[in-house]
Amino acid sequence: MKKMSNMCRKICFFCLVVFCCLLIPVAGFSEEKVRHLTSITSGGEFGRLGVLGGLFYDEAKDRLYVTDASHNRILAFDSDFKFISEFTGGEALNWPTSLTRDSRGRFFVAQPSEGKVIVIDIAREDINPIDLSAIPSENRIYPCNLAIDSFDNLYVVDKANRRILIFDINLEFSKEIPVKNGRGLKDVRVDSSGRVYTLSTIDGSVRIYSTGGKLLSRFGKRGTEPGEFRFPVSLAVDRKGLIYVLDQHMCKVLVFNKRGEFLFDFSRLGWREGRLHYPSYIFINRSERIFIIDRQNSRISIFE
Amino acid sequence: MYLKRIHTSYLLTFVVVFLLLVFLGQTTYAKNAKVSFQKCLSCHPDLKEELSRKDAHEPFKGFKCSSCHNPHAAKYEYLVKDEIDKLCKGCHQREKKLLAKSHKHEPFQQGECLSCHRPHASNNKKLLKAKGQQLCFECHSKKEGSFSKKHKHNPVSKGLCLTCHRPHASDHEALAKKEQRNLCVGCHSIADSKTKSAHLGYPIEGTDCMLCHNPHGSSRKGLIREARHTPFARKRCRSCHNGLRSRNPLGLKGKGASVCAECHSEVLETFNKINSHVTKGIFCVNCHNPHASDEEALRKAKEAKICFDCHVDTKRHVNDKKSRYKHPLLEKKECTPCHRPHGSNFKLFFAGDEIKDCTGCHERHAKFTHPIGEKAIDPRSKQMITCITCHNLMGSPNQFALRFDRKKELCIQCHKGY
Repeated sequence: MKKMSNMCRKICFFCLVVFCCLLIPVAGFSEEKVRHLTSITSGGEFGRLGVLGGLFYDEAKDRLYVTDASHNRILAFDSDFKFISEFTGGEALNWPTSLTRDSRGRFFVAQPSEGKVIVIDIAREDINPIDLSAIPSENRIYPCNLAIDSFDNLYVVDKANRRILIFDINLEFSKEIPVKNGRGLKDVRVDSSGRVYTLSTIDGSVRIYSTGGKLLSRFGKRGTEPGEFRFPVSLAVDRKGLIYVLDQHMCKVLVFNKRGEFLFDFSRLGWREGRLHYPSYIFINRSERIFIIDRQNSRISIFE
Repeated sequence: MYLKRIHTSYLLTFVVVFLLLVFLGQTTYAKNAKVSFQKCLSCHPDLKEELSRKDAHEPFKGFKCSSCHNPHAAKYEYLVKDEIDKLCKGCHQREKKLLAKSHKHEPFQQGECLSCHRPHASNNKKLLKAKGQQLCFECHSKKEGSFSKKHKHNPVSKGLCLTCHRPHASDHEALAKKEQRNLCVGCHSIADSKTKSAHLGYPIEGTDCMLCHNPHGSSRKGLIREARHTPFARKRCRSCHNGLRSRNPLGLKGKGASVCAECHSEVLETFNKINSHVTKGIFCVNCHNPHASDEEALRKAKEAKICFDCHVDTKRHVNDKKSRYKHPLLEKKECTPCHRPHGSNFKLFFAGDEIKDCTGCHERHAKFTHPIGEKAIDPRSKQMITCITCHNLMGSPNQFALRFDRKKELCIQCHKGY
């Protein structure tokens, strides 16, 4: 009889261990999907980081470029995230924020405080603003975030007129996509098939447009339920078409599928590496590394 | 035939006995209820006086103390069976449904029913603690703000707050009964010549009267709000609007914020920062009233109310019961002493350097504090320690609005050896 009860106890204990082993990976599922790789923090050769504006990963040169708005400079890092150089452009840079680069090697930098987007052509040693004067506008153009498509068309968020301005390869204004009711228009991305993704903070919505500017779908709202936004500020799209939305107040990245269904989120409020504090910008490169400007922690956090 | 008669008589007897039992049962229950109520009265004699009041709560009237109270023991004060909010809404389902409305009266939302109602009996209708206006003025002080002004709206003078407002919840701002645009025209005609001439002939159909008029009171005739935009005060509508004879008289003379920039170009410059509140259209009117206002700088409403209109999640955090400790200015519903309202080149819309922004007011703290600034580096983030490294001024459950409990968690965030 005693033997039997001992046997039962052992079986129960075994079942419990098996159950726990099954449960732990399920609980840690979302954590497993994305892991923190490294962070670029203040110090060393480039000194203290100020208010970071935007960043861009150059696939051709395998370099990471970051704008440090407070110090009017662009910092370059190699593929191991070691500092290479800084570019100040004489007095041409003035509170630079978002930046991107086309296949010709021209950099585009948004300078909202001046209402300008400047073009830095390193090869020609030339820095000039894009001519925005001929674009019909209700308010003075306020360039926010930038994106570039596979045909080297430049997309500029014009926050003051709630629209996306599109410039062709010759930097001629070609068309605009008005983002109707998209209160607090903040970010834009273009995927490999030419679909345009916009993010509106106050409205709490992601809109997807065709290359022609037709609204294909819209998802997202602000709230407290899982998959709802508190204060979304930036978005990115990976090669599989998953949409990553950076929520500044939640200090998290929320991931959605193509249909806008919430899949999982990662990171949380914190000061240690891998955690975020009022992050402001997200970028995903071709090798699916996720770069986040962790503004309040003054660092760039890299996940994969 | 005989059998049928027997069946009928049996049935009748059964019905009579059943009804008799029900009647006896009820009277016995009522008697028992009264008997147990007498027991309650023996220790709570003040309840007897309450019974004589004009209006009484249904269970109290029926001597059913145990509907709400547990006679032996309870988790809650006065031996009530549940939290007051849940207890009331258990029966008052109609009120429970009102919680779905977009605008809710603060005590109603917080489940503080007893802020306005008495639980047993009252000499006022709906078990109210006081008559309409007196009750409202207990919180919405009569002596302050627009209620005390020389010119008062007629319902305000008569204390008829519920002429325009709903007491619990509404789908309209300020708990108004209707959308503000439609509320006033319920009593005031806008077609009469007096109203037309007061508006200099401009069409006012469909406009929001409360943009210019205070619905409670004002020191100005016509309940015009206290501070007026100069062109409005001088009746120079054409400074901003089209002429009366134009197709669209209320249309503006310029596009977007350029109308405002005609006179306030220097203000528009303050939006040209990396963090900016520019939006589509005339973004100035997102926060300011172009005609008249009771607030400083012609703001549309109290500062925090304007900010919280867009920053809904911040409002949620600030008002959360857990956010017990916060910056005193936030209690006063002020945001702009720390955050720039138009634009800023610094983090979180601060006016400048994080530390200087705080020590500008907290001078004593600038002299003695935990090391802060360039030389004090947070080992977690490797950036300099500032005041907001340790304090969350938007609301925290910890004393001094600290991010962590200072007795347990705060210091060991960085000082691992302790």
